[in-house]
Amino acid sequence: MKLLSVEGLSVRAGELELVREVSFAIAPGERVGLIGESGSGKSLTALSLMGLLPEGVSASGTAVLGGHRLLGVPEKRLKGLRGRTVSMVFQEPMTALNPLMRVGAQVSEVMTLHGRDRAAARARTLDLLDRVRLPHPAQIARAYPHQLSGGQRQRVMLAIALANEPDLLICDEPTTALDVTVQKQMLELIAEVAPALLFITHDLAVVASMCERVLVMYGGRVVESGPMREVFTRPRHRYTEGLLDASRLTPRGTRLPTIKGSVPSAGAFPEGCVFRNRCPHAGPRCETEPALTGEAHGYACWHPGD
Amino acid sequence: MRGRMNAGLIVGGTLVALVVIAALVSFVWTPHDPTLVDAARKLREPGGGYLLGADKFGRDTFSQLMVGARTTLYVGIVAVGIAALIGAPLGMIAGMTPHGWLSELVMRVNDLVFAFPALLLAVMLGAVYGAGTLTAMIAIGVATVPAFARVARAATMQVMVTDYILAARAAGRGRMAIAGRHVLPNIASMLIVQASVSFAIAILAEAALSFLGFGTRPPTPSWGRMLQESQELLFSTPRLALWPGLAIALAVLGFNLLGDGLRDYLDPKLRRIRERTRRSERSGGPTKEGLRGVSEER
Amino acid sequence: MIVYLVKRLAVLLASTAVAGVVVFAFMALLPGDPAEIALGVNATPEAVAQLRQQYGTDRPPVTQFLDWFGGLVTGDFGTSYVTSSPIGPQIGERLAVTAVLVTGGMVIALLVAVPAGTFAAVHHRNPLGAAISAVSQVGIAIPAFLAGILLVFVFAVKAQALPSGGYVPMAEDPAQWLLSLLLPWLSLGLVQGAVLTRYVRSSVLDVMREDYLRTARAKGRGRMGALWRHGLRNASIPVVTVLGLQLATLLIGAVVVERVFVIPGLGDLLLNGVAGRDLLLVQGVVMVLVVAVLLINFVVDLAYAVLDPRLRGAP
Repeated sequence: MKLLSVEGLSVRAGELELVREVSFAIAPGERVGLIGESGSGKSLTALSLMGLLPEGVSASGTAVLGGHRLLGVPEKRLKGLRGRTVSMVFQEPMTALNPLMRVGAQVSEVMTLHGRDRAAARARTLDLLDRVRLPHPAQIARAYPHQLSGGQRQRVMLAIALANEPDLLICDEPTTALDVTVQKQMLELIAEVAPALLFITHDLAVVASMCERVLVMYGGRVVESGPMREVFTRPRHRYTEGLLDASRLTPRGTRLPTIKGSVPSAGAFPEGCVFRNRCPHAGPRCETEPALTGEAHGYACWHPGD
Repeated sequence: MRGRMNAGLIVGGTLVALVVIAALVSFVWTPHDPTLVDAARKLREPGGGYLLGADKFGRDTFSQLMVGARTTLYVGIVAVGIAALIGAPLGMIAGMTPHGWLSELVMRVNDLVFAFPALLLAVMLGAVYGAGTLTAMIAIGVATVPAFARVARAATMQVMVTDYILAARAAGRGRMAIAGRHVLPNIASMLIVQASVSFAIAILAEAALSFLGFGTRPPTPSWGRMLQESQELLFSTPRLALWPGLAIALAVLGFNLLGDGLRDYLDPKLRRIRERTRRSERSGGPTKEGLRGVSEER
Repeated sequence: MIVYLVKRLAVLLASTAVAGVVVFAFMALLPGDPAEIALGVNATPEAVAQLRQQYGTDRPPVTQFLDWFGGLVTGDFGTSYVTSSPIGPQIGERLAVTAVLVTGGMVIALLVAVPAGTFAAVHHRNPLGAAISAVSQVGIAIPAFLAGILLVFVFAVKAQALPSGGYVPMAEDPAQWLLSLLLPWLSLGLVQGAVLTRYVRSSVLDVMREDYLRTARAKGRGRMGALWRHGLRNASIPVVTVLGLQLATLLIGAVVVERVFVIPGLGDLLLNGVAGRDLLLVQGVVMVLVVAVLLINFVVDLAYAVLDPRLRGAP
């Protein structure tokens, strides 16, 4: 039984294909990581599940969350799901809250929007603020966002996301903008409170500590997916391999291995295997697109590592 | 650093060019003497050498419009010149010492001058020295000083935190040298845009003053006074109001579009500065100065 | 909040005092002695001296200033040298007319600009939104008095539906009062509405790109719902600044529009004063207009503090 299943999700902006044929599934209570560099399409994948793609960008394919279709349905239906069945925490806590509204009102808004009465919402707001480990919830609820730190604001965002007990929580680089010392507490909190989790990041260490399964994205495609432990210890796709090598701690004096070249801009990826212009093993075969093969541990590569 | 030509630049530039050409040509040629009063041609209909007809004194409307363009440009150039020469240096001084008493003083005086709109200044000057083109130009110029000072100050403050200014200061360059060599060239594009926008406002102000009789004095033709003279004839000869009205509107539209077009053309630098302002506003909350900066257009 | 308020109030009072000095000093430059002007060229020196004493113009300028400025606080603007009638009541009466004119203009401007600007922002990608922007750009290029003449042409000359000028006091005939103000209101309001539309549009556009609107939609609000609940108040902060500047512009625009429509407001009084060389009257009207602009500025500052909690904490 799957909570979320995504089949053939593509995102395009006019002619440009930004995400191509992405498929994956999340089981109830499962924590899945989505890794990739900026421009790999991981944020667009998440936003298309929320129905929050920017103007001029559209998604196709199917995505079903607990019996509700998420793609190709009218905004009216999606509105009822957002913030109730699926919630999202964004990267930039400094700008994600309305500067003119008290924090408490912003938390209770998400509950009254989905049918809870005002008094109950207000009472629950304090519980939620307490649950995300904000000290003095009553005081925080009366504060305006500018009176809180970045870490505190992100906790408020998390409280908003959790308010209606959603089935799935999506986090898009939720700790990237935070101080290193605050990051760890935030991650522990997310791991503790998340129902099922889709966690987007470029930080391999974070995924390793948070997730049971990972999807590696590059050039708008999922190039490798599988159980976290297996992908990290035995990467098959050459991109994943390069990524892991580059993040490994190297002994003093040795050169840090890097992936040659840089991520092309959208639309400038090569035909066939999107990674072949940077891949040390690329051959003529790579000019045709490899399919994602393998059961539990899948990879899209003609010459996988082992 | 230059962008591409855009619609505002082309349309605005064309309209402004038309006004300038009309004014320049009027020095050497007009169809008729614009000030010649002739009872025989009183309210003459358009046609037969009188393209747009003649007014109640028999003066040729088209010739008057051409010479009126001269008046308009003359007042605009002097007024904007006064405003830029006073406002820009004051704004730069304030921007280079953002927390000093001098900056505070400049901004307070600025706020005070702001409370004296061009029209009030012109009326006061007119009451003392007798109204005329000169008092109108001075009044409009002084009233426009705050706009320049604010823009110059905001732009200077943004330039002052850039690395090359820090480097120049670290190298021991004097204030004057920094202002002349580094600040002025970098805020020049903002000042050019402001000049274009201010020019449009100056045209509006001159028209209003002439309409009230506090601007250019007869017999020198002026669009605003042409309107005022035509008002009583609105029921019988509306075309007399139509042409100067159209001239004013098109000239103002031209300078406004030119200003907008220049702003986009002089991107990406301006865009960068704008975005930086927006970011700093986000983190620090909106400042009144920042907001004023964007709303200084009228 | 209190600190902010006190500081703004101090700035207001200081500005008013300095403005008073400027206006007074400016008028003191006026060539010619009011007493001599009043009595004509054949007056005896004794008569002039007596009149000077009566006017108080024989006293030192500082005393005269303090006397005049002190009087302003109680609404005493002195007695006209020309008409020998007290100036205060005249100004009060005319101010009421101008205030009605400006308020009506502002209301029309807002009624035009807020819906049009918001619509243009929401639909900035389609032709209708672009058309609104273009129309507002043209509207900005038309001065209020020209708009007045155009409106008179359309509604008074062609349609003959409304009076081309004149003013009927409300106490006399409320219906006629309304009709006589309709065109002046429209000429002020439509032009300022065009200016304001541009600012509303760019302000709403800016807000639409804010992260907190995405947050609101992630909570389950629709596009318009998020904009309505979270966007408009944020967008109104920069608009309020422009509104303040515009009220000042409207006040001055009213001076000209009163001329077009022959409305007995402050502008009319001012221009008559200048024509009749009524120094003290001009001085008084100018001062009232300047203080009005300063007051508008002060109210804008307060509005910020009410709208934006980030300013309330700041000193």
